[in-house]
Amino acid sequence: MICMSRKKLLVLGIGNPILSDDAVGILAAREIRNRNIPGVDVEELSASGIEVMEVMLDREKVVIVDAIMLPDGHPGDVFILREEDFLKTVHASSPHGINLPTAIALGRQTAPGRMPGEIVFIAMQVENIDTFSETLSPRIESKITGLVDTVEGELRKGSNK
Amino acid sequence: MAPEPIISDEKKKTDKKKITIDPITRLEGHGKIEIFLDENGDCSNAYWQVPELRGFERFCMGRHVSELPVLTNRLCGVCPAAHHIASTLALDAVFNAETTETAHNLRDLFYMGQYTHSHIAHFYALAAADFVLGPAAPKEKRNILGVVEAVGVEIGSEVIKHRHYGQKIQEMIGGRATHPVFGIPGGVSKPIKEEERQEILKMGESCIGFAKFSLQLFEDVVLKNKAYMDIVLNPAVYYLETNYMGLVDDNDKTNFYKGKVRVVDPTGKELAKFAPSEYLNYIAEHIEPWTYMKMPYFKPIGWKGLVDGASSGIYRVGPLGRLNASKGMATPLAQEAYDAMYGTFRDLGVKGPVHNSLAFHWARLIELMQAAERIVELASDKDITSSDVRGKIDTPNEGVGITEAPRGTLIHHYKSDSDGLCESINMIVATTNNNAAICTDVKRTAQSLIKNGEVSNGLLNMVEMTFRCYDPCNSCGTHILPNGQRALEINIRDHKGKTVKLLRNF
Repeated sequence: MICMSRKKLLVLGIGNPILSDDAVGILAAREIRNRNIPGVDVEELSASGIEVMEVMLDREKVVIVDAIMLPDGHPGDVFILREEDFLKTVHASSPHGINLPTAIALGRQTAPGRMPGEIVFIAMQVENIDTFSETLSPRIESKITGLVDTVEGELRKGSNK
Repeated sequence: MAPEPIISDEKKKTDKKKITIDPITRLEGHGKIEIFLDENGDCSNAYWQVPELRGFERFCMGRHVSELPVLTNRLCGVCPAAHHIASTLALDAVFNAETTETAHNLRDLFYMGQYTHSHIAHFYALAAADFVLGPAAPKEKRNILGVVEAVGVEIGSEVIKHRHYGQKIQEMIGGRATHPVFGIPGGVSKPIKEEERQEILKMGESCIGFAKFSLQLFEDVVLKNKAYMDIVLNPAVYYLETNYMGLVDDNDKTNFYKGKVRVVDPTGKELAKFAPSEYLNYIAEHIEPWTYMKMPYFKPIGWKGLVDGASSGIYRVGPLGRLNASKGMATPLAQEAYDAMYGTFRDLGVKGPVHNSLAFHWARLIELMQAAERIVELASDKDITSSDVRGKIDTPNEGVGITEAPRGTLIHHYKSDSDGLCESINMIVATTNNNAAICTDVKRTAQSLIKNGEVSNGLLNMVEMTFRCYDPCNSCGTHILPNGQRALEINIRDHKGKTVKLLRNF
């Protein structure tokens, strides 16, 4: 599980690339890769749970980019959550056994020295995640550059831990 | 030392006529159970419902069939490797391929990595909390974090390490840990190197040790605890006398990768053994209006409703289904563990298949052992590094691939035109195969546990424990989106279970 080549910063795009707006995190991560920001690794993941924890190991800072559907959100809204925020927020909205906060907590419990000091969750409110398609909704498509800019801005801050 | 598990808690009277557990915890995909009480407060009915819709078949139409192993594995983030393998086997059939022995062995080895990772994840992350901490342990503790807290970080780290070995094996052979890209008609895209073989062999040996540890843990925590065994063996809960289905090898031993589909009746008598291409002669699907997930049944018997017994067409798949449908395990240590499990039930007078649903967990750990042993067996053969990994293929047509997903039998059936463009696709996934059984099991368990309107968190969790036996994955069980629109039905029932209003948009 030790990977010496891992860079300090990681952008982790989460989602399903063929499930409409659920792909937004993956597409944003790919755009970050195209921008060639020094010292940044980019990974894509279409899974939740322990995989998320494993890919975060041995980094200083991880920026997770994902789609989100909050009851009061408007499509295209971008939410930036810190670990202490989404431990509450995401936990409440995910029925999965090993959801993101559980996975992070598991990492902190079993491999505390290898978990990143800082985890930032950047999510865009989307409108369609239940139809198989490789096309984003127009409103989401028009906002993705802004999402990528937000992620890059977070990366440029570096790690504060 | 782990604290004593909390098996029961204080019941409280409820005046509600309907109790809803939504969303269900610790399964993949959303789910809902609705429990209807009668005038006396006894459970009159319980429904296991799956509200999720996807819509996959339409998406695949007109694409080249060779894309399907990569597309179908996007159905879910839980068992992509199983879809990849079933799809690749289907393509072998579509292209009438002469798949090489090395390619089969590499796919099998890759797949044993998937089994190792999936079975470890299910037992420790999803199921163990009910046993290590107990069904009535505080809700916020009943998860993997609570399990690690109870058994210790050292064991928790071993769980993560061996689960990772399973992932690593898949990544080395399949190109990616989660969504593999290596299966092609007639073979695989690349061979493995000698140093990779040696590394896989070492990981496999370590996984055998971890499987031993896991079986011992199950023995210590569950089998030696009379209170648990009373629950495991109680025929009023978690118990169905059904038919069973699973893939077997030429000796009728459990095979996860490929083989013939064997079906046995509730006494263990063989009802059928068929090749994948014949599945439509043996499996049909029933539709219930209150759930999106179809209910497959054994066609020669027919659909007789949500009832068990020899006259019902309901069958079960997955770890217990596979073990019941076979004549044993294909590797020595797994066979020893198999003998121990069936021996325990034989000593209690059980003949033929084990019908106690909680034995799914036991069977899953026995399968973990077979997967680990198979890794060592396959990786010990130096010929597995041969470069002969692609066989001849023919003009595409129609084909069926069947593999055993960790959750049960998984069927992919494709029709292609002569240019390789997909004309139709039909999939019956593991959780769908178990759907009728899960619904029946949930209802019966709820009826046994909920009386006089008395409920508690522990009791409701014990209802949830029913479906956790099956390790259901709803996200790939409901991939059909009829007519491209969301089908929705709301069924409002009175306390007698009679429908008083039905709303639907299809």
